[in-house]
Amino acid sequence: MSAEPEVVSSCCPEASDAEMMERLDDVLTEYRDKPGALIPVLQIAQGMFGYLPEHVLAHIASALGKSPAEVAGVTSFYSFFSTVPRGKHLVRVCLGTACYVRGGKQVLNALKNELDIDVGQTTSDRLFTLEVGRCFGACGLAPTLMVDEDVHQRVKPAKVNEILDPYRVEDEEVAK
Amino acid sequence: MEPVINHVLICTGAGCIASGSLQVNAAFQKAIRDKGLEGKVKVVETGCLGPCAVGPVVVVYPDATLYEKVQPEDVDDILTEHLYKGRIVKRLVHREAATEKLIPELNRVEFFRGQQRIVLRNCGIINPLRIEEYIARDGYQALAKVLTEMTPDQVVDVVKRSGLRGRGGAGFPTGLKWSFCRKAQGDIKYVLCNADEGDPGAFMDRSVLEGDPHSVIEAMTIAGYSIGSRQGYVYVRAEYPLAVKRLQHAIDQAREFGLLGEDIMGTGYSFDLEIRMGSGAFVCGEETALMTSIEGKRGVPRPRPPFPAQQGLWGKPSLLNNVETYANIPVIILKGADWFASMGTEKSKGTKVFALAGAVNNSGLVEVPIGVPLGDIVYDVGGGVPGGKKFKAAQMGGPSGGCIPRQHLNVPVDYESLNELGAIMGSGGLVVMDEDSCMVDVARFFLEFVQEESCGKCPPCRIGTKRMLEIVERICEGKGEEGDIERLIKLGSLIKETSLCGLGQTAPNPVLSTIRHFREEYEAHIRDKRCPAGVCADLVRAPCQNACPAGVDVPGYISLIGEKRLEEALRLHREQNPFVSACARVCFHPCESKCRRGTLDESVSIRGLKRFMADQETTPVLPEIRENEANARRKVGIVGAGPAGLSCAYFLARLGYRPTVFEAQDRPGGMLVQAIPTYRLPREALAREVRMIESMGVTIQTGQELGKSFHLTDLRQDGFQAVFLGVGARNGSRLGIPGEEAQGVSDAIQFLRQFNLTGSASVGQNVAIIGGGNAAIDAARTALRLGAKKVTILYRRTREQMPAWPEEIEEAEREGVRIHFLVAPVEVLVEDGRVAGLKCSHMKLGSFDRGGRRQPIPSEQPDSVFACDQVIAAIGQIVDPAEFLNGTQLELSRGNLIKVNRLTGQTSVSWIFSGGDSVLGPSSVVEAVAGGERAAVGIHQLLTGKQEAFWRVVKDSQTFFDPDADPVPYARGQGWMLPLDQRAENFSEVEMGFTEAIALREAKRCLRCDYREGSG
Amino acid sequence: MSKRITSPQELLRLKDTFKSETELRGEPKAIQVIVHMGTCGIAAGAREILDQLMNLLIEQQIDTVTLRQTGCIGLCDQEPMFTIKDASGQETLYGKLNESKLRRIVREHILDGKPVTEFVVNV
Repeated sequence: MSAEPEVVSSCCPEASDAEMMERLDDVLTEYRDKPGALIPVLQIAQGMFGYLPEHVLAHIASALGKSPAEVAGVTSFYSFFSTVPRGKHLVRVCLGTACYVRGGKQVLNALKNELDIDVGQTTSDRLFTLEVGRCFGACGLAPTLMVDEDVHQRVKPAKVNEILDPYRVEDEEVAK
Repeated sequence: MEPVINHVLICTGAGCIASGSLQVNAAFQKAIRDKGLEGKVKVVETGCLGPCAVGPVVVVYPDATLYEKVQPEDVDDILTEHLYKGRIVKRLVHREAATEKLIPELNRVEFFRGQQRIVLRNCGIINPLRIEEYIARDGYQALAKVLTEMTPDQVVDVVKRSGLRGRGGAGFPTGLKWSFCRKAQGDIKYVLCNADEGDPGAFMDRSVLEGDPHSVIEAMTIAGYSIGSRQGYVYVRAEYPLAVKRLQHAIDQAREFGLLGEDIMGTGYSFDLEIRMGSGAFVCGEETALMTSIEGKRGVPRPRPPFPAQQGLWGKPSLLNNVETYANIPVIILKGADWFASMGTEKSKGTKVFALAGAVNNSGLVEVPIGVPLGDIVYDVGGGVPGGKKFKAAQMGGPSGGCIPRQHLNVPVDYESLNELGAIMGSGGLVVMDEDSCMVDVARFFLEFVQEESCGKCPPCRIGTKRMLEIVERICEGKGEEGDIERLIKLGSLIKETSLCGLGQTAPNPVLSTIRHFREEYEAHIRDKRCPAGVCADLVRAPCQNACPAGVDVPGYISLIGEKRLEEALRLHREQNPFVSACARVCFHPCESKCRRGTLDESVSIRGLKRFMADQETTPVLPEIRENEANARRKVGIVGAGPAGLSCAYFLARLGYRPTVFEAQDRPGGMLVQAIPTYRLPREALAREVRMIESMGVTIQTGQELGKSFHLTDLRQDGFQAVFLGVGARNGSRLGIPGEEAQGVSDAIQFLRQFNLTGSASVGQNVAIIGGGNAAIDAARTALRLGAKKVTILYRRTREQMPAWPEEIEEAEREGVRIHFLVAPVEVLVEDGRVAGLKCSHMKLGSFDRGGRRQPIPSEQPDSVFACDQVIAAIGQIVDPAEFLNGTQLELSRGNLIKVNRLTGQTSVSWIFSGGDSVLGPSSVVEAVAGGERAAVGIHQLLTGKQEAFWRVVKDSQTFFDPDADPVPYARGQGWMLPLDQRAENFSEVEMGFTEAIALREAKRCLRCDYREGSG
Repeated sequence: MSKRITSPQELLRLKDTFKSETELRGEPKAIQVIVHMGTCGIAAGAREILDQLMNLLIEQQIDTVTLRQTGCIGLCDQEPMFTIKDASGQETLYGKLNESKLRRIVREHILDGKPVTEFVVNV
């Protein structure tokens, strides 16, 4: 039986790097002989580490018998992979057609202002990374945005704060 | 076992989850426990039912009652009322938009009525996490049939004969693909499912995977059997985590039940499936790129041939279909090819799922037989465009597709018909756009999309789309150049011909199709530097100002009113439009329909504020006038003292000219005095503004009729260096039916003009008025005031289609005017030479006309006779060029209108200019003002060579605005209206305007779209 | 116990087993029994009638009936009541129901198609 693909984007701060590398090795053992394993492994690794640090990429390359160049090529091709640390929460504003004609651009601008970052950047507190999405398939509820895996519908630019607040609070509670 | 009496289905598709359906589910579970209904009521979490916009949706069976927008706090009501007492909870039931009727049964709701669900047969009906429910509804029976009763060739043959075509894009015949793959040599073959649904605006694949995952698993296993494959992959995009989760769950269950894996159902056939997730690259939806990505590489496409059927994944023969295509297969196998082929059109069989979104009342997933008219999907299933706005276009096929404009609403949605119009069926994204969408901006959006998603392998796509994007971007910024449109067409055609894969080959489509259907909008951006829809930020200061034909600085004067700086407000208005008082009463306020406040609650009452400002004007507030002796000596003649002519004179006077206006009637004002009744526009309100214009150095000579008192050539001989023709559209259109010559038949303009200019007009006891525009309403309310006992308006279309202002229609009805819809006159019945009645046909709405409205066509109902003794036709006005053409060679356009350069108002004769109704046909006062202004600038340019419209410069009103403050929460202000009992048999003004307190509050409702960071 | 299906015949059997899971959501069946469940009806015992009827249908394996509930129809002195709507669309209103009446109605009307005229409420 194959493992369920990992889609979690939050990292686990309590696990040490060595522990994580150990877990990565388990994954690599499972996938090593599967055809086309590189991308699923990268997806899982990004889920574990929150992003793809250089030493992780190097480790994956050698374990799967690929050149670092090939791994780097794949990593840079797909927009979901990131080689720089990302925020705890990934905020993606849909700019699909329906969201676009329903004001997605205004939502994006409101978020840029609110978070004081540009698309592709992460807030200084490492809480949020802002990205643009291309249709989450919730077009009937446009404009939409996704925070991690939660889809928020009919977003009003003036109210983006109300959407972000619970994620901030949750983070504070964890901190306590 | 305790008997279950009700099933409560809760949609847990991604859309309804976003609307809170999981909380509703929890509330149901708890309430059922609390009330001890466990075992009697079963709660089922289903996949997407379709009507996402009214989610969370709940359906209660066996009644099939659809509840919309259900919140946790509604659960108690549903339980105690519906489930316990059998009473439907009316407040949560669907209300039909057109009739306001409550429609509880799912299948009678208009959204579902026109649908035929094959692909979506189980979506919203079964729990996708329970294979038992899929099996209960014939699940895996098709697979059993195939494995025990059919040879692989027979399966391929059934798929071929069904006529099924690929639902992912180009519509390649599915059976043919299967047979290629069946015939391909090789021990290892792969079955692939493309669930990389990347086209923004399409989400049917997501819904099927989330709502009925087993249908895809079953179909892929059938496909595997028929082509001789043991392994399949489903490639799902990473944006769909829920779909991945549910599909994985379904795969695990199918394995557990022996329906996937080794020795399926003991038949000896083995097949297994794996999920591969995308990682955010649109190009991976392309078949060769998708396979490269599964192989674990950069997902770049490769040239074909070899086709995937020969050499696909890892070089092995591979069969790739998309989710929707697969979902059809089990039904085709069970019900037969003939059954499937009986639906759809000759070349396109079956149904298609569309993701209906954008500016449409009922958005969501809909499945209809292929070939139904586009308009039926938008209006019947989709319930039309919200907010009374006009349908502008439907974008179909996403970044590979195109826009279909309103004149093609009758197009049958099938592969070929859509291709002919420059769109494609694609994966079924159908985004409805209303008048607020700019087509150039839409083209820019898609170009930006493909530009970003281009994999970069081939130069036409990588560089060509970049160049196209640069051009479209500069057009949007108001820096477009002549020839840009042609450059885009040339580049686009080149990219289409030379790109490597489908992405590049279709990338120019959104641009090419919008140029094809909306070229004038591109031209407006390039030549006039205007974005008619009010979208392109660099060309639009505020949407209201952009929507005003005269370009009045609406946020400016409104904010000045809010600070009680009325004189400045009036002066600012008069920068662009002299008629504050007249427009405050008769303007159809396009500004208000674009007002952004309308998206929050209701638009700002801009006309109401203008009225308040006009009412406070004691001494005329004159605009800036630049005296100029040279201009004063240049003779300019203006024919017609209507709003166009007077506006032209006004702006010329501001440049120092002293023009002469020749008016045929005894009073200046044109249609404002001849047609508009005084209860809407008191004559003194207009006369003051006319006197103001005269005081600026304009001479008005009344009783001077062109063609009778003088000719255009006479003016030239008298030394007039330029002439403005503002003669309007003075004559009413005729009915063109028998009996029209009878005494008692007239047209609305004739009737209104006679009364307005002479103070009397004969009116019958029982008056029939034909038409649905403002002139019909004016004539009706005037007839009523003149003592008619009964006034009836007969209109051949429906209320929603009436062009008259809704507020005027409402007042007319309150005053006692009756309106009959869907009736068209066919004959005036005549007795002794006088009107004795009107024979009418009853109409019904048929297909769509070029304006995007359903056309009235005769119904089966027999004709009726309306008793009446007077008939007034209000069906349009025409320009009669014979009146003034004498001796000049003016070029006319279709419909005998005068052809002009739309930036300068200059006609084909260099010294003659025109504007208003004689150029546009019957239009509005504010459009006439704009036409007069443009011509004044054009005349000045002709005579001096200078472009000197100093009033067009944007002014900063220096009003206070706090951009961080929340919008004030007040509702739209209401003015006073004259009570009904005081309106009979007199012409006192009906609308009384705002008090100061209301006006000041109303002004604060403005969201100040004109505000820019660092200004104000 | 393994859930593995080892033959197509077993799949068919499973379908029958699972049928009851979804059939409430299908098209209404030939006969509909609509129990009037206003406050008055419930007070008069409509809920018990509904349960008894349901049990009878299961007991006698009758699968041609869809059971539905509706509100009060304004004849409170006749409660508990239900309406039987048969395949032809014919509607029959029964009143003052009890378990023995129920058994006869099931036997004679639902199974044999003959309305039990003496229990019918004439409106």
